[in-house]
Amino acid sequence: MRFRRLLRRWQGAVLSVVGIVATVWLGFSGQLGLYIHPRYFVFTWVMAGIAGVLVVAAFALVPAAEHEHEARDDEGRWAWLWSAGSILIIASAVVGLLVLPPATLTTATVAKRDLNGSTSSITQSEANDLVGGDYSTFTVRDWSSLLRQGAGEDFFADKTATVTGFVTPDPSDPENVFFVARFIVACCAVDAQPVGVPVYHPGWQDEFPVDSWVSIVSGFGTNPSISSEEAIVLVGSEITPTDQPAQPYVY
Amino acid sequence: MSQTTAVRPSAARRGPGRGLTVGLVIIGIVILLRAFAPAPPADSLADTARDFVTLSISVVIESLPFVFLGIVLSIGVQIWLPEGFLLRRLPKNPVARRVVLSLLGMLLPVCECGNVPLARGLIAKGLTVGESMTFLFAAPILNPVTIITTQQAFGWDSGILAWRIAGGFLIANLIGYIYSRHPKPQSLLTPRFQEACALGDGHDAAAGKARRSATLFTQETSAMLPALFIGAGLAGLIQTAVSRDVLVTLGSHPVWSVVALMVLAFVVSICSNVDAFFILSFGATFLPGAIVAFLVFGPMIDIKMLALLRTTFTAKTLVQLTLIVALCSAVLGLAINYAV
Repeated sequence: MRFRRLLRRWQGAVLSVVGIVATVWLGFSGQLGLYIHPRYFVFTWVMAGIAGVLVVAAFALVPAAEHEHEARDDEGRWAWLWSAGSILIIASAVVGLLVLPPATLTTATVAKRDLNGSTSSITQSEANDLVGGDYSTFTVRDWSSLLRQGAGEDFFADKTATVTGFVTPDPSDPENVFFVARFIVACCAVDAQPVGVPVYHPGWQDEFPVDSWVSIVSGFGTNPSISSEEAIVLVGSEITPTDQPAQPYVY
Repeated sequence: MSQTTAVRPSAARRGPGRGLTVGLVIIGIVILLRAFAPAPPADSLADTARDFVTLSISVVIESLPFVFLGIVLSIGVQIWLPEGFLLRRLPKNPVARRVVLSLLGMLLPVCECGNVPLARGLIAKGLTVGESMTFLFAAPILNPVTIITTQQAFGWDSGILAWRIAGGFLIANLIGYIYSRHPKPQSLLTPRFQEACALGDGHDAAAGKARRSATLFTQETSAMLPALFIGAGLAGLIQTAVSRDVLVTLGSHPVWSVVALMVLAFVVSICSNVDAFFILSFGATFLPGAIVAFLVFGPMIDIKMLALLRTTFTAKTLVQLTLIVALCSAVLGLAINYAV
């Protein structure tokens, strides 16, 4: 009974501590960007600091007295179920936020979210602005946008792309074509939209595992694949395995 | 109806040392756990399970600071502002009162997660249930950050911003009006929240504002954070289970596009401050009415928001609210699709 009352009173403070410590640790280790857009970093740190002060104040000042309504709740037949649920939530928060290593989204989410599909990463006018830009600085997002906006084969003929992304198969020809892909994030990983540039490289699975990160320097050409739905791809690529960048998402 | 707590005199006399020591030990354990947790191999989880964890954590990390901000504002309203400071300044006429409340978000630009604890504080201080709903549903849309980001994403000419503001304002005031007619508005609240409000009538004012603030912080975090974690888990689970391709294929149909984007808004549970940037990438596929329905429905009702609202309102009330908001948003979206 006493344990239930303590749990009811302090579960919020404990969950706050778990959330605050996880947030601060992600910030110090440079991994906060795996979950939220950088525009929120400062706000998140400030609120974590304020909440940290309030949690310490709560531990120092809040008396261990029970309220009458808490005592009544504890008398119910199913009160143990509430306690079990609270413990489960706290345990899940500890495992998810403190034990499991931070991670980016994977190809499983790419499959759910229509890679380069209906979601154009930039507008037509922005794509027009890209034409004539400094191609050496173009990212996966820029190239995928130009491909999607329908820039013709002539446009790509003399261009060389230097891009970094993770490997995900082309559903229409997974044997010969993969995408070098990134997620675009507007707010947090929940809204991540995958974009990618197709690469023709038969037998790529033997060299590069799905979701591994690669850097590619390559020109564009007509897709030799018969079954792939991509018309223009990177061909004759120089592909180098690389580590996941500090900011794996693009904004 | 202050929500601050009754404290036993004997307990109130307890010094801060023991509680602080226990608290610091808990914080130390959590820090050590994070620092020395054995790192499992990266491929220890299947991709889908890994993405479920990543998506759920993302919702928590993104929402947590807003929930804390809402709780801080709620503490300020309940304990630090003079009695009746906000409510006394509201118009006496119910309609004008709700109109002003629906614009309160212009002064307190907190996203929808933070509005829930703030609304709880306002109810505890005497706001009616219907008025609190008007504030809850209007503030995420009628606030400067949301308006600016929507303008940046869609501009003025498309009309989407104007429809969003008008839709949010009208629906929030309609809901406030409907529930102002309820014969027993207190029955719309959960018994636990009703008791918390009632307890405040006899609270120990001598406990001091700092102690009452700390107590209210523990109460509000104990109510809100379990709901947030459950909502985040559900949002992550549904996102890993439901393919967006199915929704996107419906984009060009005047009716199904509206339904599809409302379902998407419900599932993604994205913050109203930036949802315009997110849905902008669907702009080429979906009809304008569907975009407006997404931008009006999402800030009011989604998985995460329902979990948070459940701390305050009964399940029956939330079902009714969801149906009303969904119906109104759909009508608005369909009207735009067929009229524009």
